[in-house]
Amino acid sequence: MKAIAKRWWLGAAVAAFAALPWTLGVYHQHILIVSLFYVMMAASWNLLAGYTGQVSFGHAAFAGIGAYASGILAVKAGVNPWIGVAAGTLLAAVFGFLLGILCLKLGGIYLSLTTLGFSEILHIVINNEYEITRGTMGLQVPGLIAEYSKLAYFYIFLAAALVTLAVVHRLIHANIGLNFRAVQNDERAAAALGVDVVRVRVLAFTVSSALAGMAGALYGHYLLLITPQIPSLDQQFLVLSMTVIGGLGSFAGPIIGAFGLEILSEYIRAYGEYHVLAFGLVALIVARFAPRGVVGIWNGWRARRDLARAAGAAP
Amino acid sequence: MALLEGHGVSRAFGGVRALDGVDFAVEAGTIVGLIGPNGAGKTTLFNIVAGALAPSQGTVRFDGRQISGLPAYRICRRGIARTFQVTRPFGEMTCLENVAVGIINRHPALGQSEWQDRAAGFLAEVGLEAQARTAAKHLNVIQKKRLEIARALATEPRLLMLDEVLGGLNTQEIQEAVGFIRELRDRRGLTVFWIEHVMGAIMQAAEKVLVLDQGTLLMEGPPAAVVSDPRVVHAYLGD
Repeated sequence: MKAIAKRWWLGAAVAAFAALPWTLGVYHQHILIVSLFYVMMAASWNLLAGYTGQVSFGHAAFAGIGAYASGILAVKAGVNPWIGVAAGTLLAAVFGFLLGILCLKLGGIYLSLTTLGFSEILHIVINNEYEITRGTMGLQVPGLIAEYSKLAYFYIFLAAALVTLAVVHRLIHANIGLNFRAVQNDERAAAALGVDVVRVRVLAFTVSSALAGMAGALYGHYLLLITPQIPSLDQQFLVLSMTVIGGLGSFAGPIIGAFGLEILSEYIRAYGEYHVLAFGLVALIVARFAPRGVVGIWNGWRARRDLARAAGAAP
Repeated sequence: MALLEGHGVSRAFGGVRALDGVDFAVEAGTIVGLIGPNGAGKTTLFNIVAGALAPSQGTVRFDGRQISGLPAYRICRRGIARTFQVTRPFGEMTCLENVAVGIINRHPALGQSEWQDRAAGFLAEVGLEAQARTAAKHLNVIQKKRLEIARALATEPRLLMLDEVLGGLNTQEIQEAVGFIRELRDRRGLTVFWIEHVMGAIMQAAEKVLVLDQGTLLMEGPPAAVVSDPRVVHAYLGD
């Protein structure tokens, strides 16, 4: 009964959100689309960092791989952008899989270091391969639809975000999700109980990278201009901050974080690029004092309220 | 042929030889105790059998097949489960989920309601049914040790390796625990390899005792013979 009610509420919330852009102007529609891009990024990064405990600094780089792969295919080979998005997703998955096999056996901090290096290398390659990528000038790419419309893009991004969330939800609630969490909690104990720790991590990293690739490819065809800003560390730390502040390892956390920080950063845009720095600092403080983020604070508050109510009702 | 056999098992950490050419055998269906003073290499031997460590030299065979060098998860799937001396629960997961990890890696196709039922059964076996929905980090030390056993059983082992599961129990609880392990062995047809400091428990439970001292096998035999042997007394008490 309660589960059914919850499902109805969820459906109603999604429907209300889907109707929202009809009441908004173009600028606010844009913010919603960008927010949905960050929902995809943060939710897929959370799958890896929040549920298996592996911190990748290459998530923005994988979005960049998706964006540039799809963009270059469209510009140089005239490939349909939708096929390009699929190709970009696949290429990000392949890179994730190979990097995963290379460094996830080592565990610990090695994935972080390798992805940080990978991210920088990709950045240098994009900046220098001017003939192909147009470097910092940016690569002009065609859109996903013949007639540009923010409303249409909103629904494309909404659908993609829902697909991303569905993939994440399915994985963490399937049997493999138990393995993810076991590996995060204690990998030695997990291995002793029959969990193939390396395989679990490679799977999570590959899926997470593929989802970032898809998000990046779609984003490129929305902006119509792909720049090295997409695979930048700025972007990486923004995604990290969104996930950590929203709630690492919770399903709702990255959604809350993505909308919260994207909307907030639009309001403080006037102060320049310092907002990423500010978010990074807030994320550090949250990680130290409220490691489950906003969602954790909310759950804690509700648990205490229920306890107080139970105590009040007892005598 | 014994269920578990080691030949010349050695392991060095830097210059220190934690284990030096140990031969041992654990016969199917028996309870074999592994004792020795602190630092004798008991847990190192367990880690090698369970695949948490590879031996520097020597081989371990389980059911006639070599297992030394295999990763821990594959050794588990061959039918060896172990508990940890310092318990390692998945703290953020419920007791039910802790046990479920062992089940789903043995039976990957099981649906959620099936593994929940089975996990509840293993928890009931160790007396933790009331804690099924409790996060494992909230258990006390003794409950955590029980959870370790439930998780190990959930992997459906043929060989159960216990690493000091009686620590912190009083005399009567030790009696009950020994009875529980013996009963478990009989009911499930298990073989038990057991490190324990509580000598009285091993005396009661084990059919055979191995004594390690400074990385070598000092002696093996029935418990009564082992504790009265002057070499063992010397190893424990010194001159």
